Amino acid sequence: MENLLEIIDIHTFIGQYHILQGVTTRVPKGSITTLLGRNGAGKTTTLRSVLGLAPAGKGKVIFKGREIQGMRSYDIAALGIGFVPEHRAVFRDLTVEENLKIAERRKGDFLRKQDFIFDLFPDLKRLIRLTGAHLSGGQQQMLAIARALVADNQLLLIDEPSEGLAPVIIEHMISAIRQLSADSTVLLVEQNFLVASQLAEYYVIIEEGKSVKSGKMADLVKDQATIHRYLGAA
Amino acid sequence: MNAFFHSLRKNGVLWITILALVAFFVGAAHGMSTKDWVITLLRGLSVGALTFLVASGFSLIFGLLDVLNLAHGTLFMVGAYLGWTVYVRPDTFIDILTPAALLTSGFVLAPLWTFLANRIQIQLEGRLKRLWPWLGLLLAAVILFLALSRYPISTWDLENFAQSPGTYAFMADQGQRLQPAPAQFVGISPALDIAGILFGSLLAAFSLAGLSAGRQPVATLRISWLRVGIFVLLLAVGFGMYAGNNLLTDALNKLDTTWLFLIAVLVATLMGFALGVLMESTLIRPLYIRPIYQLMLTLGLSAIGIEVVRAMWGRTEFTMPKPALFNGAGEGCPATSLSDWLAHQCSTILVLGGRVRVYNEILIPLVGIVVLIVVWVLLQRSRLGMIIRAGVQDREMVEALGINVKRVFTFVFALGVGLATLGGTLAAPSLGLSNGMGESYLLNALIALAIGGLTSYPGSAIGSLLVGLMQQFIIKYGQIGIKLPFLAEPFKPTPPVVPASTVLLMVIILLVLPQGLFGRKE
Repeated sequence: MENLLEIIDIHTFIGQYHILQGVTTRVPKGSITTLLGRNGAGKTTTLRSVLGLAPAGKGKVIFKGREIQGMRSYDIAALGIGFVPEHRAVFRDLTVEENLKIAERRKGDFLRKQDFIFDLFPDLKRLIRLTGAHLSGGQQQMLAIARALVADNQLLLIDEPSEGLAPVIIEHMISAIRQLSADSTVLLVEQNFLVASQLAEYYVIIEEGKSVKSGKMADLVKDQATIHRYLGAA
Repeated sequence: MNAFFHSLRKNGVLWITILALVAFFVGAAHGMSTKDWVITLLRGLSVGALTFLVASGFSLIFGLLDVLNLAHGTLFMVGAYLGWTVYVRPDTFIDILTPAALLTSGFVLAPLWTFLANRIQIQLEGRLKRLWPWLGLLLAAVILFLALSRYPISTWDLENFAQSPGTYAFMADQGQRLQPAPAQFVGISPALDIAGILFGSLLAAFSLAGLSAGRQPVATLRISWLRVGIFVLLLAVGFGMYAGNNLLTDALNKLDTTWLFLIAVLVATLMGFALGVLMESTLIRPLYIRPIYQLMLTLGLSAIGIEVVRAMWGRTEFTMPKPALFNGAGEGCPATSLSDWLAHQCSTILVLGGRVRVYNEILIPLVGIVVLIVVWVLLQRSRLGMIIRAGVQDREMVEALGINVKRVFTFVFALGVGLATLGGTLAAPSLGLSNGMGESYLLNALIALAIGGLTSYPGSAIGSLLVGLMQQFIIKYGQIGIKLPFLAEPFKPTPPVVPASTVLLMVIILLVLPQGLFGRKE
């Protein structure tokens, strides 16, 4: 299958710390791929390196057949990558509507996409005039994902969508992400293995800054030994 | 209504503080005659408006860029001197436009130079590769020095009292504009000199691009039509101002001073904006990750700015005449109504029995309110404002959405500086011009921001208003005295109490609300 994103042996330094020490990943078009691993393994940094927020010092990042490492973040994002960071990073002083509108890359993006977005997250329509600061954690997460959908993004980088959310809301989030992966590709970071296994088609395990194992999720679920070794108790 | 009660419950301390402040000033006004409190209130508004023009820019820059621009007061002062120059000496202003426009023109074509320099770098070998940009810069510097120093600019003379800035200002105030003979080219042909400036600018910009060339390969030449347009415009201004120099100078000298003042305000604001673009892109940008260096840089710039102003305009204080519309006296003055004022163009107007200076106490607050609203609308209603508000909270996320935040940074910095120079020009006719005027207003602005909340735009407005009112009420009570229960004589605050009172107000408010009135809790 064609790969939308390829990460080839990237090394990333933050300050003097060698955070990523060789991460290699392929994200096939139209799939959900999840990065697994313990806290501090380098999953979030991998996402940030793709987007150039923590630029990789070595290695290649190829998006749509084009090398993007070393480009500026805003240019990378403009190629069609949506980012849902950890802790959601909803703009507190902006209303829900403004939070969505700011993600427009062409005039009218929001108008074109609003039906799709409000079908996915009906709550947001009701909250449209509220500022980000007034939303609950779950609502902020919905808004953060919706924001990544406003522009025409082929790839979505989603970091810890289930973190700190109630189980009911996680259910909703899972079905929403599944729905939107019908026409976009997702690279996901997810601590909660249960959630990850329900969502992802492929997995990559990262340990101490290196990608150590990858494959189909369906195989990993059966492989208790690997799960236990790299992820602790599932 | 529900939202109101919600905010009342949540921000109880804030509302009580605001009520206490209102009660305090109403009480203070109550102790005076109507005539007195009207004037004091309007003067407070005036000082508040000028403080706001400094504080709002400072807070915008701090909010988005995290830069404490300690040079902001100096920029306010520089604005006053720039405005004064356009207003009192239009001939100097017109003379400077030609070299300034030509000097800038080369740098506008930066992408072209980067492209060409990359081409050259590929062809060259060895030592020459590193050397040629420096040689180019050196040559450009020599040419620019020779050409610029020979370009004739008619100006004042600090050594000669009859031609000092103060004398020009005084004569202009008397309605007689001194018109010195236009400066002439000496010992060089004008065509050669102008060509020299243009060539020097192009060479300097090209060599500068050569310094950083080769780091990133530039395959194709991408230059926006906007840049080409600006280049052509600058050339047109440069040559046009040279060809029409005398004509324009005469026209500006004959112009009604109200219009001339408007031009001065616009020019000073635009020059402040340009200065802001220059400062941010060359000096501030490399230091975003080094906050301490920023402080040292802006403090240093402030000192340099003051010295430059001293070298060019002198240490002596002088005045800026008020525009004709606000300077009338004699028959029909003070005006009793707005139409009356328009008819006689009085400098004063009667408001509830108090004699109010129209320029200081009506125009300045009005401009302050207009700026408040315009910037507020820009922040709240435009896409740019949305990006600014989002960027204040989370720059990285804005960038991750595909937005070039750097450009927005430059704009906000330039906007802040533009507001400061606007304030300076506006203040000049009422305060006069002195080297120290920036410092006192920066101090006012800092106190206002501490009161209002450092990065809050409405906070900067309310804080400035409170500082202005506090100062003016204390000054007024210094004259009429406060009747206190235990004292036989009315208590008269002495002048040193004036600045102390605003600090005291700040301390009290910060004790109750550590983030200031509208600051966000960290």
